[in-house]
Amino acid sequence: MGIYHIHDLEHYYGDKQVLSIEDVSIPTASITGLIGPNGSGKSTLLKLLVFLEKPTYGAIIFKGRKVAPFSHNIRLRVTLLPQEPYLMRRSVFDNVAYGLKIRGDTKDLKNRVEEALTQVGLDSERFARRKCTALSGGEAHRVALAARLILKPEVLLLDEPTASVDAKSARLIRKASLKAKKDWGTTLVVATHDWQWLYETCDTVLHLLHGKIFKGGLGCAVYGPWRMGQNGLLHKELEDGQVLNVPKPEEGKQVAILDPSKLEVLLPEKGLSLKWNINSLNGFVTRMFLERNGKTVQVAIKIAELVITIRMERDRVEALKLFPGKEVSISYDHQKIEWL
Amino acid sequence: MDFIQEGFIQAIKLLVNRDPSTYSAISATLRSSTLAMAASLLLGIPLGYILGYFDFSFKKHISIIVNTLLSLPTVFIGLVIYALLTRNGPFGEAGLLFTIPGIAIGQTILSLPIVIALTATAVEGADRNLRITLMSLGANRKQIAASTLWEVRLGILAAAVTATGRVLTEVGISLMVGGNIKWHTRTITTAIALETSKGEFGMGIALGLVLLLIALTINVSLVGLRRRI
Amino acid sequence: MKRNMNSEYKVVFSLVLFILLIFPGVMLCANSSQAAEDKDELLMATTTSTDNTGLLDYLMPAFTAQTGIDIRWTSTGTGKALKLGENCDVDVLLVHAPQTEIDFVKKGFGKDRRQIMYNDFVLIGPPGDPAAIKGKKVSEAMKALRSSNSVFVSRGDNSGTNKKERALWQLADVPIPEKEAWYRQSGQGMLATINVAAELNGYTLADRGTYIKYESVAAGKPALLILVEGDDVLLNQYSIITINPKHCTNVKYDMAQTLSAWMANKEAQNLIEEFKLFGKQLFTPNADQD
Repeated sequence: MGIYHIHDLEHYYGDKQVLSIEDVSIPTASITGLIGPNGSGKSTLLKLLVFLEKPTYGAIIFKGRKVAPFSHNIRLRVTLLPQEPYLMRRSVFDNVAYGLKIRGDTKDLKNRVEEALTQVGLDSERFARRKCTALSGGEAHRVALAARLILKPEVLLLDEPTASVDAKSARLIRKASLKAKKDWGTTLVVATHDWQWLYETCDTVLHLLHGKIFKGGLGCAVYGPWRMGQNGLLHKELEDGQVLNVPKPEEGKQVAILDPSKLEVLLPEKGLSLKWNINSLNGFVTRMFLERNGKTVQVAIKIAELVITIRMERDRVEALKLFPGKEVSISYDHQKIEWL
Repeated sequence: MDFIQEGFIQAIKLLVNRDPSTYSAISATLRSSTLAMAASLLLGIPLGYILGYFDFSFKKHISIIVNTLLSLPTVFIGLVIYALLTRNGPFGEAGLLFTIPGIAIGQTILSLPIVIALTATAVEGADRNLRITLMSLGANRKQIAASTLWEVRLGILAAAVTATGRVLTEVGISLMVGGNIKWHTRTITTAIALETSKGEFGMGIALGLVLLLIALTINVSLVGLRRRI
Repeated sequence: MKRNMNSEYKVVFSLVLFILLIFPGVMLCANSSQAAEDKDELLMATTTSTDNTGLLDYLMPAFTAQTGIDIRWTSTGTGKALKLGENCDVDVLLVHAPQTEIDFVKKGFGKDRRQIMYNDFVLIGPPGDPAAIKGKKVSEAMKALRSSNSVFVSRGDNSGTNKKERALWQLADVPIPEKEAWYRQSGQGMLATINVAAELNGYTLADRGTYIKYESVAAGKPALLILVEGDDVLLNQYSIITINPKHCTNVKYDMAQTLSAWMANKEAQNLIEEFKLFGKQLFTPNADQD
C-alpha cells in the first residue's frame, strides 16, 4: 500500500478547486519528486501530506490509517520544510532543539543538536549560539532542515528546498536529505524544479498540472484558441502549422491535456494513420534522462511550441535509435484527450 | 512658574524625609496598580491571543468593541464600578467600596482592553509561516499557543508597559471608587488632585515627580528583563 | 551549555509566579486594612471645604483617643456626600446645607441632625472693587454685582456654598444668573473657585475658613480681599447627620450617635473654638444653641 495512499482527493479553497487526485500511492522509504508550474498545487499537496489541513473531500491514508490534523500518529512522525522556513526568535541551538523539547525528548540534547548541525554542514561551535537573524539565507534554510532532521522523521516533505539558496547550501541540503533516507528509511517527497533532484535522485516523479497528477511523464497543457474542425471536432493550429484535433469539451473547459501515458512515439516513416481515430504530430527529441531504476528513460520531445516528456522503456529507445535531435512522430487518440 | 521649582525641591524633601502621607500614597498606588496589572495580564493575554490568532465570523465586531473600550474615560469607569459596589448595588455586600481592591477592579477594566488589543495585534503580526513551522515540528495546539506568545513577547511587553502607564496615572477611578481617604485609599494621583484643588500647586508638582520616579524605576527594571528574553 | 528543557517556559513561569505571589500578598495587605475597618470603624462623608481647613485632621484623633472608635472620612461636594448617605455607603455626614439637610431627614435618609458649629460666608473681590460693594449689605451688594457686569465666579456644583449663593441672589430679588457672560460657573471646589476668581479679577462668595487658607497660601498678598461680611444671612451652619438605620440596615448607628454626641460635648466644642488657621479662629461652636 505504501506509506501514503491518496484516493478521490479533492481540495478547494473557497470555490476554487486546487487539487483533484484520483489514485496515488507513495511507497515507504522512497524518494518522490513533485514537479509542476507555479499554482499547480504542489505546496497545497505537501500541506495536506503533512496534515496541516484536512482535504475538502476524500482522504489521505497514512500507514493504513485515516488521519486528522494534530493527530498523535502523525504529529511526531511527519515533517515539512516549507519554501520559506521561519526561524524563531531564539538562538540556532534553541531552534534546532525545539522539536525535541516539545516532545519531552531531551536526553543528550547538546550532542544531538551538534550532530544535526553537522549533518547540514554547519559547524556547531560557530553556529549554535548565534541568533537566527545573523544567518545567511542558505544557512537559515539549513538550520531549518537540521531542526527537522533531528527528529528522525518517518516522512520528510520538502517544498522547493534548493530554489532560493546558494549552490553550496543546495548541495548540502540534498546530501543531508538523502542521508536521512539511507540511515533511517525516511520517505522523501520533494517539490522542486531542480533537475538533479528529479532525475538523479527521485525514484518516481509526479507531474502536477492544475491540481491533477500525471504519472507517465511531463505532459503538457494546451490552451486555446480552438476552432471548429471537421466531424464535430475542434482543432488548434500550432505555431508550425500542425493541427491538434480534440473532441468537444464540456461547458466551460478551456484547457486540453496531452497525457504522456496515452501517447506513442513513432518514427516518421512509419507514421501512417491506420486507425480512424489516431492522429499524429511531428517533432524532435530534445532531452533524454535515464531514470534511477536504470530501465526507463524520460524522453523530452518538442512539437512546435509544446514540450512533452514521455517515459519509455530503454529497449524501445534503443530500438528506435533515439537521440537528442532525432525527428520523431507522436501518435495520439483524439478521443482520449482530456479537458481541464 | 515658581511652583514648578518649588515642586522639585519638595519632591526630594518628601522622599528623603520619608514623609508618611507621601509614602502611604505611594503604597496605595502600588498596591492597586499591581493587583490591576496582575489581573488584566492573566485575563488579557489569553483573550488577546484568541482574538489575534483565530478567525471567526464576528471577529471584526469584537475588534471594534475592544478598540472602542480603549477610550473609556476613567471617571465613567469609576461611576459604573461605584454603581456596582454601592451598598444597595449588586455587589454591595462585598464591602469593596472605598477600598484598594475596589480601585483595582476599576483599574483592571481600564487596563484589559489595552492588553487585549495590543496582544491581539502582536499575535496577528506574527509571521504566517510560524504556524506552519510549529505544526510541522509537531507542536500541539497548546504548544502552538505558548510558542506563538513567546515569539511575540516583545509586543506583549509593550502592551504591559502601556497598560501600566495608564493604570498608574489615572485619577477618575481612584477618586470615585476609593474616596481619596487619607492613609487608606489616597493614591498619588488623588493626592495630586487634592493638593491642586487646595491651591498647593508646588505639592502637586512634587507628587507628580514622585510618580514619574516610580514609573522610571519600573521601566529601568524592565529594560533588564527585555534584554534577557 | 546544557540548557534545561523549559528555559523560556521557566522565564514565563517565574514571571507569572512573581505576579501571583504579589497578588495574595497585596490582597492580604488590603484585606487586613479592610478587616480592621469593618470592626470598629466609622465612615463619614463630609465636604471638601470642611476637610480642606484641616479641622478633621485636628479634631478626630481626640475622638478616637476618647472613644476608641476609628474614623475614616471621604470628602466630596455636598451633593455627592448626601448621595453617599442616601446610598448607605457611609454611616454619618458632616455637611453645611441646612435646608437640604432638613429635607434629607424628612425623606427618612437621615435620622438625627445636630448643629455643631458655624462660620460665615464672605463676599470677596479685587482690591479695586469696580462694582463698589465694599461695606454694603448683602442684598445691595448682589444687586450692584449684577448691574456692574464685573466677573462673578460661582461654585456651580450644588455645594452648600453654591446653595447659599443662589439663596442670596433670590433674597436680593435678583434673577439667578446662568448664561450671562460675567457669570462663570467653575464646577470645582472652593479654593479652586477662589483661584479662578483671582485670575479673572472677579468676585466670589467664599466661606471664611477657605478664604483664610487662601490668604496664607498667597503668602500675605492675596489678590482678593473680603469686601462684604457680617450679615446674619451669611451664616454657614455645620451639622452632623446620622444615617437612618431603618433606611440603611448596615450603618453603624450607635457609633454615629457617639460621634454626634461627642462633637457636641464641652471638650470637643472647646477644641473647635481653639482651632486656628494662621492665627485666626475658623469656626464658632454652637451645639447647645438652636
